[in-house]
Amino acid sequence: MRIGFDKAFIILIKVLTLFSLLLLSFIIIFVFKEGYIFFKEVPILKFITGTTWNPLSDPRNLSIFNIILATLYVSLVAIIIALPIGVGSALLLSGYVKERPRLIIRGLIDIIAGIPSVIFGFIGLMVLVKFFEKFFDFPSGESVLAGGILLAVMVLPYIISTCDETMDKLYRKHSPAAQAMGISKIYILRTIVLPQSLRGIVAATVLAFGRAMGETMAVMMVIGNAPIMPRLLGKCQTIPSLIALEMGMAEVGSLHYHALFAAGFVLMVILLMINVALYYVKRSLNR
Amino acid sequence: MKRLWSILICLSLIFTMVLTGCASQTPQAPAAQEEGNDANKEFRGEITFNGSSTLAPVISAIATEFIEENTTWDKVDSNFPDKNISIYVSAGGSGAGVKAVLERTTDFGMLAREIKDEEKEKIGDVNEFRLGVDALTISINPENPLAQIRDNLTKEEVKKIFAGEYKYWDELDSSLPHREIVVVIRDLSGGAHEVFQNSIMGDTQIRADAIQSPSMGALVTKIIENKDAIGYASFGMVNQNKGKLIPLKVDGVEPTEENIVNGSYKISRPLIVVKRGELTAPQKTFMDAIMSERGAEIIEEMGFVPVR
Repeated sequence: MRIGFDKAFIILIKVLTLFSLLLLSFIIIFVFKEGYIFFKEVPILKFITGTTWNPLSDPRNLSIFNIILATLYVSLVAIIIALPIGVGSALLLSGYVKERPRLIIRGLIDIIAGIPSVIFGFIGLMVLVKFFEKFFDFPSGESVLAGGILLAVMVLPYIISTCDETMDKLYRKHSPAAQAMGISKIYILRTIVLPQSLRGIVAATVLAFGRAMGETMAVMMVIGNAPIMPRLLGKCQTIPSLIALEMGMAEVGSLHYHALFAAGFVLMVILLMINVALYYVKRSLNR
Repeated sequence: MKRLWSILICLSLIFTMVLTGCASQTPQAPAAQEEGNDANKEFRGEITFNGSSTLAPVISAIATEFIEENTTWDKVDSNFPDKNISIYVSAGGSGAGVKAVLERTTDFGMLAREIKDEEKEKIGDVNEFRLGVDALTISINPENPLAQIRDNLTKEEVKKIFAGEYKYWDELDSSLPHREIVVVIRDLSGGAHEVFQNSIMGDTQIRADAIQSPSMGALVTKIIENKDAIGYASFGMVNQNKGKLIPLKVDGVEPTEENIVNGSYKISRPLIVVKRGELTAPQKTFMDAIMSERGAEIIEEMGFVPVR
């Protein structure tokens, strides 16, 4: 009886795991299938190296080089802003803050991750974009920088919690020995914890980068959505914002519709490459 | 060995799943077609709409109210059987609406443009219902000095502003300050932009660095927030935000409800529902609900000008 129950349970969890795998493969295959129709008409190289996106012109120009570039650019700006803040906060949390307040602060930071992105977008539109217009006298505040700052706030909790986990472990491991030798806290943090948590920091960065690239709503509201060559203070358009903006209107089955799927496929491939790179970086750091 | 087997089984399962996924799409169409043919034979409590994504939320809103009020058909009219009312609205663009009517996969097609003569011919027995007009106003921020000196732009000027030929306000009128014009539009492939492109721009491309707003609300907010902004705000949105943004006349024609309905204000498009052949009794009652005063109110709430 007992054995039978166990067996049934094992089968059940196997089926459930299989189901989640199937789900993943289904999504990939679906997006590829829809995008493939587009790649049959427009060569993939032209799609990712051409610079004009105009679904209405005749003949249609559907190339997303600017858009890919903008996606990477906005995410990069976000990481550059968020990484120092995130690593700094994580160091402080693991070294200087006692257990209880640390958990409370971690909880509060995690709440940032739970705020819906539309709300971020709204605040970005009303505060950030307006701030640029008022104090820097931009004609319009929508810019790569605005998107980057907004995304930096949004990915901060991911960086802090991933870094904090690694750093806390390291600090606990080394602090009794260090204290016995009378070494100051800041010295341990700087010379032992920070260098040794490099792996955690890299993992956090990649996780945050992936999040940033996929973020749609908040970014869409502050970058102006103009498919032009991105400049730090100029407007741009990212792949998720492109898809979200145009999918509702693209006629089902049209070339435009398939082009949006193709763009989504490109985004997935980029994310996949980043994750594979992460795997190898992690492995090499492990040794 | 065991492991190899499980991997193989997994793969084959995934593969079969994919294949079934591909196959199931095709047979849907004929099934729906049969339904369409049966419509006249016996009572069918389902009504389907397909087409323009501009019109879809309007029909959905009216349908939701209609269903909430009545629930079953016998409450609408005592001659009808006690069947649940179900109204399905799906959006796929005006073109898809016409196509669905042609292929008999839907009862009604929704269009946010005039129906073309060739389409009428193909469908044959067309029943057309004009619900309202969607108009766009060329609006600016009240703080823009342009509002003081002029209340009118010619079509040519609007075109040059949106095409990026005028980059600064002082190029339009030398008394205006030398500040960059911020052009705000909706997404290029959307219905609102299509209206604007057709009625003003023609073949001219819009400037590439125009801000594409994700919604009409965002577009209007941008104009209210930025004093150098100009954009095409929908007529309904302008009325909801009276005083916060100023609609300009185009070629001397003011965007008023009267001018929009009689067609003298050009940046607009009709909202039409088409049906092949005669309406069945339940379809007619729902159509009456759409054309009623309450229906017109909903159309107005959604930012369009109802045809009363």
